[in-house]
Amino acid sequence: MATVAETSARRDGRVGYGSLAVALAGLAISAYLTVEHYTASTLLACPESATINCQKVTTSQWSHIGPVPVAVLGLGYFLAMTALCTPPAWRHPTLDRVRLVAAGAGVVSAVYLVWIELFRVGAICLWCTAVHVCTLALLATVLWTTSARRP
Amino acid sequence: MGRVATKDSTPSRPRSSAKTQAQKRLAGQRALAAAGGNRSSRRRRLFITLSPIVAVVVVVAVLIGARLGSASGSPASGQSVTPASAAVVGEVTAVPATVLNTVGAGSVTTLPTAITGTPLTAANGQPQILYVGAEYCPYCAAERWGVVVALSRFGTFANLGATASSPSDVYPSTATFTFHGASYTSSQLAFSAVETQSNQVVNGSYTPLDTLSAADQALMTKYDPSGGIPFIDIGGKFLISGASYSPAVLQGKTQAQIAAALTDPTSAIAKAIDGTANVITAAVCASTGNQPASVCTAPGVVAAAARLP
Repeated sequence: MATVAETSARRDGRVGYGSLAVALAGLAISAYLTVEHYTASTLLACPESATINCQKVTTSQWSHIGPVPVAVLGLGYFLAMTALCTPPAWRHPTLDRVRLVAAGAGVVSAVYLVWIELFRVGAICLWCTAVHVCTLALLATVLWTTSARRP
Repeated sequence: MGRVATKDSTPSRPRSSAKTQAQKRLAGQRALAAAGGNRSSRRRRLFITLSPIVAVVVVVAVLIGARLGSASGSPASGQSVTPASAAVVGEVTAVPATVLNTVGAGSVTTLPTAITGTPLTAANGQPQILYVGAEYCPYCAAERWGVVVALSRFGTFANLGATASSPSDVYPSTATFTFHGASYTSSQLAFSAVETQSNQVVNGSYTPLDTLSAADQALMTKYDPSGGIPFIDIGGKFLISGASYSPAVLQGKTQAQIAAALTDPTSAIAKAIDGTANVITAAVCASTGNQPASVCTAPGVVAAAARLP
């Protein structure tokens, strides 16, 4: 019969896999946005209206930070988070702080980009919103798993 | 003794049972305590996890509320159309061939896509270029510069109007021309331009200008179901949907400043607009049978053609 601690550990393990699943989802969407950025924006499957307009967002002057497209930054971020959320990485408590800081930084960046969409571009990109939701979900899963290790 | 013996021997089972029950009670209490601790730990973890998430959701909700509160609900009118100055038209319709050849494809970021189907021709059999845009649209504002430079190599524009994109859209008030009311003549091709809306707001929306024919609407529906503009069908062989370069290049510039920059092949404006013009020219040449040869074999056009799909 499993002890409470064992049951809890198994449950924590599942949540650790949850963070990996969320990171992979974010990685897939970021990869799509990056491919779209380097091919043609007409490939972007996104409905267009007064407020929802992916092309308006992804081709705006705020779609780059310096010379680097935001889509590429997102891809790099989710690549790093995917590596940090693999089961072997979760077995290293020394990475907890790195994971937390990275997850928090991702959410802060997402809030900044939402502000840009709302107040500078004046349009919302649904694919970008999906990435932002993944970032928030990633913070939640990382916090949930990390909090199980702390007294 | 007998009673004592009886007392000592017979209650031995009840005492053992009581001990077992006490152990069970203790184990139960421990399990309850563990479960209670587990519940407490779970509550603590939920608090740690949900607090920042709720805070972020509140911040985003406040941002959305602030945006909705600050939105006027309707766009603002842009610069009224005036006849384009002769000096500006002269510079844009006669960019030196040496400059165009130096620029090549320039800084074009979005190339035309190849399309298949029936070639688009005018009633007189000439290859047709169909442009669909709107005066308020900043991407159309950017693309018109390249269209005018390119098509001026095949024919002549008349009555081009000067205007700017909407001041309340992205890349506000981008200086440009309008094709509404303009005409174009060429021995090589036909140009049909549809500006669906102006940049003037009445009752909260841009006033309508030109009406799309059923055939033009069918082309847009076929190749650009999302209805994005600018939409340029080049002879049924190439399609441009959206701007070929970022309108940011033109921000804060007047028509005269943009026109003057076209002759400097090192300027960002020339690389964007002249590069777009060469790409459009190369796409048009695919429909005109590479005529006129002086245009279609120019090094700048050949370099741009190499980038076409």
